[in-house]
Amino acid sequence: MHHFALTVVGRDRPGIVAQVTEILFNLGCNIADSSCSILGGQFAMILIISHPVFTGRDSFGNAFEPLEAADLTVALRVLKPGGELHPDLAGEICMISVYGADKPGIVYHVARVLGDKRINITDLNTKLIGSEQRPVYVMIIEAVLPADVSEEDVDLWMGPLREQLQIDISVRTIPQVEL
Amino acid sequence: MAAREIRVYPDPVLKQVAVCVISPDPGVAELIQDLVDTMRAAGHSVGVAAPQIGDLRRVVVVDVSSSKLGQQQPNHGLLEMVNPRIIEHGGSRVFREGCMSVPEYTGNVTRAERIVVEFTDRAGHRRVIESHGFEAVAIQHELDHLDGLLFLDRVSSLKTDVYRRKTA
Repeated sequence: MHHFALTVVGRDRPGIVAQVTEILFNLGCNIADSSCSILGGQFAMILIISHPVFTGRDSFGNAFEPLEAADLTVALRVLKPGGELHPDLAGEICMISVYGADKPGIVYHVARVLGDKRINITDLNTKLIGSEQRPVYVMIIEAVLPADVSEEDVDLWMGPLREQLQIDISVRTIPQVEL
Repeated sequence: MAAREIRVYPDPVLKQVAVCVISPDPGVAELIQDLVDTMRAAGHSVGVAAPQIGDLRRVVVVDVSSSKLGQQQPNHGLLEMVNPRIIEHGGSRVFREGCMSVPEYTGNVTRAERIVVEFTDRAGHRRVIESHGFEAVAIQHELDHLDGLLFLDRVSSLKTDVYRRKTA
């Protein structure tokens, strides 16, 4: 079975999910993993879908045209075999909260440190809050720590960024329990 | 006495409310032993509730003493609880929970950090204990099974919860 990554973005309003999934349902698509959220005033949908027969972009024909007509931007990516499988991410789950007066480079500098240390970011949200006069940037990261990296290590590596960017960064692991 | 098969959702038994054990119930000792054997056989398990092995009586076993996390804090070792009831709770903390009955899915669940739980033990004695941290979370997770609740019913955040704020 072929898998596809479908993204749909457009100005938020009630009914977007219904319109998108109605089309998928009528095509006979399965929705495997998905994540949808409001970002700014936009509703953003990211879905991993599959179809028992469809093999490529052409199989979908003009099925998504009604979405484009409704001012939604649609993109479809054909996954290579195995591209739908969730990687086995062994390791501690680490939450990193980053916040401070808004300035350029907060996301980049934090992500660069994590990337250089081979720490895999599994989720990342940012939001601009505060007032127009005093904008505050908030970023929450979920990452998986390699076996040889501890919460304290990450905290230590964030130290220079706290100084350099004058931001607050807290690091904590979330215990994972199988009950 | 034997390890039993762990029921996996969508087995309907997991969504049913278990019934109180009315003493004397001579079968309870065997049920408790099966729960302990099942927990031990699963290796990494720190608790099993009777509905998870298809028995709708209000019995759970919990033992966090051999887990890495459990060893870091005081705990009661093996707890065999008949008709358990939480009578006090306080504080809160988040764990990323998983469940043998819901494989391959985990979610952040907020639960009380401290509980006082009342139950009858294997010998038939009424006991009241106070539990903290991981053990308290494990007890709450297992007790939920007695009410047909899975951790999926308790998932408290889609991670972005922190942003959801009512602007007055």
